[in-house]
Amino acid sequence: MESDRTKVALIGSPNSGKSLLFNRLTGLNQKVANFPGITVDISSGKSLTDASTDYLDFPGVYSLQAISGEEKLAVDAFRRALETGQLSAVVCVVDSTRLEKGLIFALQVIETCRRHSTPIVIAANMVDVLDQHGMQIDTLGLSAALNVPVLAISAKTGMGLEHLAPCTATTSAPTEPFSIASDIIASDDSLTHRQAQQLASTYGPKGDLLINAQTRLDTFFLHSWFGGISFFIIMYLLFQSIFTWAAPVMDAVETLIQLVAGVVLPLVPAGMASDFTADALFGGIGAFLVFVPQIFVLTLVVGMLEDSGYLARAAVICHKPLRLFGLTGKSFIPMLSSVACAIPGIYAARTVDSPRKRWLTYLAIPLMPCSARLPVYSLLIAAFIPAQKTLGGLVGWQGLAMFGIYVFGIVCALLVTAAVSRSSVEMRSDLPFVLEMPPYRLPSWRPLLRNAWNRSKHFVTKAGQIIFIVTVVIWMLGYFPNQGASLGDSWLGTMGQWIEPVFAPFGLDWKYGVAILTSFLAREVFVGTLGTLFGIEGAEENFVSLSQQIQDSGLPIGSGVALLVFFAIALQCVSTLAVLARETGSWRLPTQLFISYSIFAYAAAFVAFHLVEFFV
Amino acid sequence: MTLWDLKQGTSATVSAFKASIEAGYRTRLSELGFHPGELIACVMAPSLGAPKLYRVNNTVYSLDDSIASMIEVA
Repeated sequence: MESDRTKVALIGSPNSGKSLLFNRLTGLNQKVANFPGITVDISSGKSLTDASTDYLDFPGVYSLQAISGEEKLAVDAFRRALETGQLSAVVCVVDSTRLEKGLIFALQVIETCRRHSTPIVIAANMVDVLDQHGMQIDTLGLSAALNVPVLAISAKTGMGLEHLAPCTATTSAPTEPFSIASDIIASDDSLTHRQAQQLASTYGPKGDLLINAQTRLDTFFLHSWFGGISFFIIMYLLFQSIFTWAAPVMDAVETLIQLVAGVVLPLVPAGMASDFTADALFGGIGAFLVFVPQIFVLTLVVGMLEDSGYLARAAVICHKPLRLFGLTGKSFIPMLSSVACAIPGIYAARTVDSPRKRWLTYLAIPLMPCSARLPVYSLLIAAFIPAQKTLGGLVGWQGLAMFGIYVFGIVCALLVTAAVSRSSVEMRSDLPFVLEMPPYRLPSWRPLLRNAWNRSKHFVTKAGQIIFIVTVVIWMLGYFPNQGASLGDSWLGTMGQWIEPVFAPFGLDWKYGVAILTSFLAREVFVGTLGTLFGIEGAEENFVSLSQQIQDSGLPIGSGVALLVFFAIALQCVSTLAVLARETGSWRLPTQLFISYSIFAYAAAFVAFHLVEFFV
Repeated sequence: MTLWDLKQGTSATVSAFKASIEAGYRTRLSELGFHPGELIACVMAPSLGAPKLYRVNNTVYSLDDSIASMIEVA
């Protein structure tokens, strides 16, 4: 039974190595990143060594006296777990290379656990780093002083972890308050500070631990010239990787789909079954599967940047420019994550501790060019922009167009936050910029690859489900009542004709109207729907690329640009709206954003269509 | 002098917080190590007014002008 299970909580400051320890103990694929505050939900996992024990990974907090909303959620959850007696024990993870800071937090946790009669163990993590520097921590002395077990461990190498489970199982709750502490929680921070300082200087490692290499790298990466140049090179490589590294795999997936279609289609009996397989399965779902490699590469590269410690430096570089637009350097990580997907971006925005800046970051996130827009952009660019190169073959027009539409999305996001931050009446409290700089390190590949794989799998299974259902429904509406004889006379055709006037100002016919409507579920559905519609209409026996079919349909370039602009702005993602509602606690912001961005998108697309038609 | 005025490569001891600082933030800065009596080094002061990097014990934090100018050093 669930209630019989032993629950052990892991709690610690950001960057104390808590999530890595959790992964070690449970073998779970929880994401570990080198950016303060990456754990945003409480993860739970079964112990690898004892099947009756669950470890709970609480979000990293600097203190039990929360000052931001995100911290308050985490601290409240921890307190509730203690109050309801759910926890068999607490493991407080401290970074032994920064013992004083860790102990300020540990003293608060020890006192809180004592009040709730819950056993606590201090895990002094990262002793491998101490070893490298020939230093050590006096765990026995510290344990005696605190009257709580202290274990020297390394989540990275696995050192000392075998003692953790037996220790949490046998230790009892602290009974006496810490000797020099009268009442630690009672906001006497200077007393706690003095105690931690005294304990750290008596039992902690003696000497200078901050690796000089970190300062040297910071001098380079934050240099006024080299820092700026390297920032742009890294961002350029990020976007290049999405297209150049993923391109061969995308081609391979497309070829594979064609091959499978070539083998499967002749085996399916002619008629409705064959039409369904060709149009809905290969046309609709095949069109969307091609983009999975890009999502994999993007997640991998963003994860690599996080893990290396560079993203925290990028936040420092971006702070001043982003402040011009009402944001903060901390908004950079959620905004960059949103280039992969708005949903991790929204979660990452919890690290923006200022409520006002976080709210503004939420406004920017849906406008960031997410990977779900990528299939739509790729399709339209392939259909409208010639695959030619300029400047002696160095710059491709298609790549340039992609870069342009990405920049357009980012500029829209910044302009919206700049305008809203200057005119908004939303009086939300503001907090200043304080960010811990994690040490630089080489990314650990296995968790990163696993994370990229999970994200891609999630994309295929979750988005794939919606796309499959939509594709089947669209196919049926388009195929009946006349068995695909004439798409215009189908149920879908009739519906399309009702909405045609809405999109007629952009020169789009009803097929695009239907595809846009369905894409309000998720943007990539646009490609699947259009693939299905063209499939039914064309009655092609072979798998013909959708961009080719769009090209052949003679759609004007102004309509193509209008579609690009529309997709860059409109908030067509049910999941984003739902997650935003959950994060902000109400449907108010998602509703406001949905309506205003739809109007904005429509107006901008209208202007774009007429501008292009005027000049081209 | 405030922490924000500290030049790159120099150190100073925190003497006090400005009275206008919010209580919650004063507590947090103390917990992070920015505490009266603590020696703070400015390890990096990027140009163009970007947040500066300060070292406390073995940790480096980045603080922008709005908060670093709330901490008085001597």
